Amino acid sequence: MVETMQKVLEGVLERLSKYVTIYLPSLLAALILFLAAVVTAALARWLLYRIFKGPTIDRFLRRSGVAFMLDPTGRLRATRLVAEGVYWCLLLAGFLLGLSVFDTDITTQAIQKLVFLMPKIVVAGLILLAGVALGQYLGRGMLVWAVNEDFPFPRRLATLVRIVIMFVAVVVAADQLEFARDVFLAAFIILVGGGVLTVSLAVGLGAGGGFRRYFEEKKQKSEETNERSLWNHL
Amino acid sequence: MSERLPDDARRAAESIGQAGLVIGIPSYNNERTIGHVVRAANAGLAKYFPQLAGVVINSDGGSTDNTRDAVLSARVEDGHLMLLSTPMGVAHRLSFPYHGIPGKGSAFRLIFQMAAALGAKACAVIDSDLRSITPEWIELLLRPILLAGFDFVAPYYHRHKYDGTITNSIVYPLTRSLYGLRVRQPIGGEFGVSARLVTRYLERDDWDTDVGRYGIDIWMTTIAIAEGFRVCQSFLGAKLHDAKDPGSDLSAMLHQVVGSVFMLMREYESVWTPLSGSREAALFGFRFDVGLDPVEVNVERMVAAFHRGCQELGEVWAVALQPTTYAQVRQLGESTADDLRAFHMQDELWARIILDFACAYKKHPVYSGHLMQSLTPLYLARVASFVLETRTLSSTDVESKIEQLCLKFEELKPYLLNQWVGDPVGKLDGWPAAEGAEREREMKLEV
Repeated sequence: MVETMQKVLEGVLERLSKYVTIYLPSLLAALILFLAAVVTAALARWLLYRIFKGPTIDRFLRRSGVAFMLDPTGRLRATRLVAEGVYWCLLLAGFLLGLSVFDTDITTQAIQKLVFLMPKIVVAGLILLAGVALGQYLGRGMLVWAVNEDFPFPRRLATLVRIVIMFVAVVVAADQLEFARDVFLAAFIILVGGGVLTVSLAVGLGAGGGFRRYFEEKKQKSEETNERSLWNHL
Repeated sequence: MSERLPDDARRAAESIGQAGLVIGIPSYNNERTIGHVVRAANAGLAKYFPQLAGVVINSDGGSTDNTRDAVLSARVEDGHLMLLSTPMGVAHRLSFPYHGIPGKGSAFRLIFQMAAALGAKACAVIDSDLRSITPEWIELLLRPILLAGFDFVAPYYHRHKYDGTITNSIVYPLTRSLYGLRVRQPIGGEFGVSARLVTRYLERDDWDTDVGRYGIDIWMTTIAIAEGFRVCQSFLGAKLHDAKDPGSDLSAMLHQVVGSVFMLMREYESVWTPLSGSREAALFGFRFDVGLDPVEVNVERMVAAFHRGCQELGEVWAVALQPTTYAQVRQLGESTADDLRAFHMQDELWARIILDFACAYKKHPVYSGHLMQSLTPLYLARVASFVLETRTLSSTDVESKIEQLCLKFEELKPYLLNQWVGDPVGKLDGWPAAEGAEREREMKLEV
């Protein structure tokens, strides 16, 4: 009994030492590579923060609307954008390099998949970014319009516009990545179709009178106050 | 000339040959008043310029009533005019639909093209909804050009204290502080223009922007001042007119007029940045007091629109306004939510709002449309405050108030310049430092 246990333990220890002998150097090498990547990325970010004092790029970001899109205060700095971008790219590169040290089927496949997916990820990212930009733009347009027109729930309307645009962007991005393509497409069709049907039914059956009352009240209010003369005289 | 005349206008110009003076009348569904305007224009030409051949041109935006018929059938009997000289001939009357984007500017473009094609020495444009126009207006708009060598004659009217609020609260103070010339009605609607300036207008390629719409008036005035043309004013009496297009929307109108001012600020940056203070523009005509139509104003509704803007438009105003200005706007919104009588927007705050928007328009061209539209509730707040403040004041006192606002705009020009060239705005004239307010804004920001 003791002998058997001893054998089992020896076997385990042997396998463990074998694994350690095989994988520890790789793991250490991977860790060293990853740490080197972290240090390099941090260094690059630090350097970029200092070097990249680019008022021209800041101006470009502001004028192109990118700053406004990513940062609602519109005060996004190019330095931060570039430095953070480089930082995360270097970290990813370090991670992939670390994985490649193991040289196993799984890691090789994972790296290959990631490398092959990269262009698609970039395109999908750009699609999402465009969706955010368009959503912000149209949402803001809706917000300002609704406020000026004294329309009810302007911020909810703006949010709805943003959500719809973002959802479309997500569907397109998922299609690009070939990720749950059918699920997203079906969800999109159901949502849009359902939305249109709901609005049609609401306007046609229930809310029609409400809408009519709203517009009549608005018209009456405008006539009563007779404010037009103020608007018409520049 | 960037665009050729439409065929019907070209044929008419060829058949007339040459004309000394052109009177242009843009119109859109003005059947009720345009006959009177055409008659006044014809009488003015016959009475004051009998030695020059004149053409009255109506540039119509596709009226669905009988505006064009009213133009072509308008008659004036020479015998009633007590003419001292016999006119060279009856002034031609033409009416064409204009092409291009629908708006007053596109109508003016056709008029200027016709004036150039006819070799006119001077051209006057007048609104088609005027009820107070007399033949003397034609003389007052054209004589400074023909006899005194001016290139641009702006109108000078008596208006009701609540009439012309975009002029009084934004366009006049801002234009005056920028370009240093006091043209009291820079977007009045009636102007006299020399042949030289007509040529300059037609050379430009920005007719398809807001200039083609309500931006045309300030565009004409600004170009004349900024490019060194000789500018004067003529006193025309009272401006009484019909309400314009009922469908016209304040936000769009404000956007087009103020957007044009801001657009021109970019173009003429090198002209206005070195200037400070302002001087009077020459004024022709005999000044007299007149009775004016009352203007109805619903202050409560305007203040309500402002409060609604405060609640909903934080994310846009935060971008357009400097932190200190934004904090003051929010404070105004919060402090006056329940008490209408306490509502008061200081001249300084209003001037800073406009100057901040001008800079934001330059800095965020992609979102400039949204920024401009978001100005509407702030503008309504200013008008409401002005109405409350001047309710019991006479026209003279109100004019003094407007003068104070103009001086505030002039005083704040360094503030504008600091922002315009991109320097951060710090502590200025007793306002809190920007940094603290920035933090406050970030805390309050609703996204």
